[in-house]
Amino acid sequence: MEKINTICIIDDDPITVFGIKKMLNSIGVAEQIKTYVNGKQAIDSITAMVENKEEIPEVIFLDINMPIMDGWQFLEKFIALPIERKIKINIVTSSIDPYDKQQWELYNAKTHHVVAFNNKPIRKGDIIEITKAA
Amino acid sequence: MLRGNPTVTNNYLIKQLPLATVYLNRKFEVVYVSDKWIDDFNFAKRNVLGQKLDTLFDGIDAEWKKVLKNCLLGKVSDKGLQHRLAKDDEEQWFEWINIPWYDEKENVIGVIIQTEDITHRIQSELKVEKLEILLDQKSASTKIGSWEYDVVRNKLTWCSITKDLHEVVQNYVPNMDTAINFYKEGFSRNSIAMAVDKAIATGQSWNETCQLITAKGREITVVAAGKPIFKGKKLIGLVGTFQDISNTIETASKNKQQERHFKSIFNSSYQFTGILDIHGTFLEVNETAQKFAGLEESDIIGKKFWNAYWWPVPDYVKDGLKQVVKAAAQGEFMRSEIVVLDKNKNPIPVDFSIKPVYDEDHKIVSLLAEGRMIKEMVKARRELKVSEQKFRALYELSPISYILSDFETGEILDFNSSFEETTGYNKKHLGSLLIRDILVKVPKRKSTQIIKDLTTKNYFGPEEQQYIKKDGSKFPVLVSGSLVGNKKGRKLLWSTAQDITESKHSEQRIIEEKILLKTLIDNLPVNVYIKDLESRKTLVNKAEMEYSGIKDESEIIGKNDFDLYEKTSAKISMDEDVKIFKTLKPMLSQETISVKPDGTTTYFLSSKIPLLDDEGNAKGLIGISLDITELKRKEEELRGLINVTSLQNKKLINFAHIVSHNLRSHTANFSMLLDFLVSEEDPEEKNRIVTMLMEASDNLLETLENLNDVVAISTNVNLDKKPMILNDKILAVEQNLTAFLKNNNAIIINEVEDNLKVNVVPAYLESILMNFITNAVKYKDPMRKPVIRISAKKNKKYTIISIKDNGLGIDMEEHGEKLFGMYKTFHNNPEARGIGLYITKNQIEAMNGKILVDSEVGKGTTFNIYFNGKN
Repeated sequence: MEKINTICIIDDDPITVFGIKKMLNSIGVAEQIKTYVNGKQAIDSITAMVENKEEIPEVIFLDINMPIMDGWQFLEKFIALPIERKIKINIVTSSIDPYDKQQWELYNAKTHHVVAFNNKPIRKGDIIEITKAA
Repeated sequence: MLRGNPTVTNNYLIKQLPLATVYLNRKFEVVYVSDKWIDDFNFAKRNVLGQKLDTLFDGIDAEWKKVLKNCLLGKVSDKGLQHRLAKDDEEQWFEWINIPWYDEKENVIGVIIQTEDITHRIQSELKVEKLEILLDQKSASTKIGSWEYDVVRNKLTWCSITKDLHEVVQNYVPNMDTAINFYKEGFSRNSIAMAVDKAIATGQSWNETCQLITAKGREITVVAAGKPIFKGKKLIGLVGTFQDISNTIETASKNKQQERHFKSIFNSSYQFTGILDIHGTFLEVNETAQKFAGLEESDIIGKKFWNAYWWPVPDYVKDGLKQVVKAAAQGEFMRSEIVVLDKNKNPIPVDFSIKPVYDEDHKIVSLLAEGRMIKEMVKARRELKVSEQKFRALYELSPISYILSDFETGEILDFNSSFEETTGYNKKHLGSLLIRDILVKVPKRKSTQIIKDLTTKNYFGPEEQQYIKKDGSKFPVLVSGSLVGNKKGRKLLWSTAQDITESKHSEQRIIEEKILLKTLIDNLPVNVYIKDLESRKTLVNKAEMEYSGIKDESEIIGKNDFDLYEKTSAKISMDEDVKIFKTLKPMLSQETISVKPDGTTTYFLSSKIPLLDDEGNAKGLIGISLDITELKRKEEELRGLINVTSLQNKKLINFAHIVSHNLRSHTANFSMLLDFLVSEEDPEEKNRIVTMLMEASDNLLETLENLNDVVAISTNVNLDKKPMILNDKILAVEQNLTAFLKNNNAIIINEVEDNLKVNVVPAYLESILMNFITNAVKYKDPMRKPVIRISAKKNKKYTIISIKDNGLGIDMEEHGEKLFGMYKTFHNNPEARGIGLYITKNQIEAMNGKILVDSEVGKGTTFNIYFNGKN
């Protein structure tokens, strides 16, 4: 399995973060795992990385329902950033609201990054497949 | 004046002499004079004694001088005639004698002149002469003019007839030259000139027939006669007569011409004409007849009339013709239509007549036989017959009854079969049937009018009357009549009567249908009206009248929308009308709004259909409006209800998603953690997972609690709202929060009126106030002491409570949409759970209110809560 330098998890639920981290660690795919509790923290950090020409996380696990800045708001800002590389964005949500599915399709069409929609819970068996860099 | 001088005896005697006498001395000076002489010569005003004769008479002619000188020699003159004109231009004639005057010694001492005034005698003589001439002319004609010529004065006088004959004006003054010049130049003028000369020279009278050209240039023929008049040997004048004989001459020439004319007419006439003697022998026959027969005149003349070849069947026709000739010869005028044969033996119908010709003594001298070809006439008659037959057929077959009656007596003289069919009478009833038998008595006023029309215009009608059938039943008819006169002067009335029972029925039907229609229209549950081109109402039904609030149609007829409705809605309606008149397209089922001047608004479902005239032009429109105000209101209500329902439905779905999301996120965590736990071998890690499972379980419980709260609000649809004094509630909340407010140094400024009431669910109001006040403090700006300002105002529908803080503020662009969403938090406040505003909003909406936010980051937030006064 190809190693990925940085994976980033954006979720306000510590249990989910714990779970994903644990699964990622178990397959040992990433050098580094960064976590943010809402979209605002994440976008601010990533924007700084882009400005400092640092390496951008290649795979992002993104929750939708978060305080302050939710997943969609984050996505809106993220795809606007000048990132040439294709980033794999895994939306991880327990929502079955069709609205969210529509939003996903909308953003998927809007960007060159790869956006995937995943319902919780993420199973160990799935994690390898979805954590491949785009 | 010496007259009557008594000193001279002689003088005295002479003065009284009955004869005009004057004594002249040898110098021809007046010595004695008789009064008569002075009178005769009109010297009464002059002194004549001692005057010379020469002076008195303004000179005397040589002849008289000679006579006087002879007298002085003792010679007695012959009687002489002298003519003079007195001062007043009166003509005078004198006979005179001059004798010598001797003294005692027989010496001639002068001349005695005796004169006698014979003017009267002369004039009488002239008259006699004229009379004689006139009598000489023998003619009875009154057109005889006379003339006289006075030689002495060279004066020609024409009487008025003479002037007329010359065609000159009555004051025309002729003279001898011009008179002669009237005669036609040449023979006539010469003859007259010579005759006049001869008459003067030899005393011979004349009588000439000459041509004369009148002043007007007309040539007439006259007999001019004349005669010189002498007194002694002296020519004193000419008298004559003058007669126009042109007519006589013309008559003679006319006779000749007439004969020519007659002959040409006789021959060129299209009639066959023959003249027979009284025994029927042809004396003459015209060329037409000859040509027709193809015979010469000589073939016919002298033959008997009935032997002419053109009679078709000789024997009995001959006898008949003999009888006819005989009758004509006895003075009868015979006429008949017969058939004769032309030269080709073709039978030709002829109108034949024979009549007697009388002479002046009323004796029949000949017979005039005439024959006129009547081929054309026969043809015309045949055509007439055909057309009469046609008329007859029409008369008989016409569906209209024709009745001929005597206007005076009312007797019915004829009628056609239509009359028979409609009335049941037949021709057998003629003679006993009177107009009044078939006519229902007409009111006096009407019958007077009919008689007046007939006598002034010769016709009447059409009039609606009623006829009576034979069986006594009555039926309506439309009658016209016209008055005609027959040959005998009888006034006949032709009446035409049209049975209008059927049209009466249909009229009745139309009326019934009209009533039906009116009833129908009136009872329709829609408003119906008709408008003219000016958009004025010409008909309205009951519903429309009720809507307009009127009792009688007349109150609305003639009014337009501007008279009936408020300006704006009237304008819209009139515009619709104009468009319909222009396009002729109906407006169908359109929702319209009519606003009456008092503001009453009615919603209609209106249709306007153009009414067209025969030529397809609009003459108005029919309007049909259904009052849908109630329907509209219900629809509005329904729409509101649908809105609420769909809103709630949306909320419900949203809620369902929230529930599912929240529950799923927890269960997903459970599932994941349990998965880890099963395969975890590290006991420390296992402990950590178990702790997390417990955390997850707590979260799930909390979530369920929250959901329970929300469900409680959302399911309580029919909440009991009560009017609450707002300030009481604010104070209560303030009391509860005293410690919290104090710890945060927060101040509440309450600007709400003391007694302001809001219609709310009390618990909700408390919860709402609590939530907003705590939020305002929780999200305070750390640099400022929190100040919360509460105010309230009322508008028509809502009581609006404003809660204004000076806290952190919210980025409305970023979060506006999610502000009231469940589990939405916007600040990095660890205590924020994202449930308070969600619940608040639900509570407000459950009370039919709404909430609006105005916020700016760094300045603060204002929540405006709208409480609906209604339940």
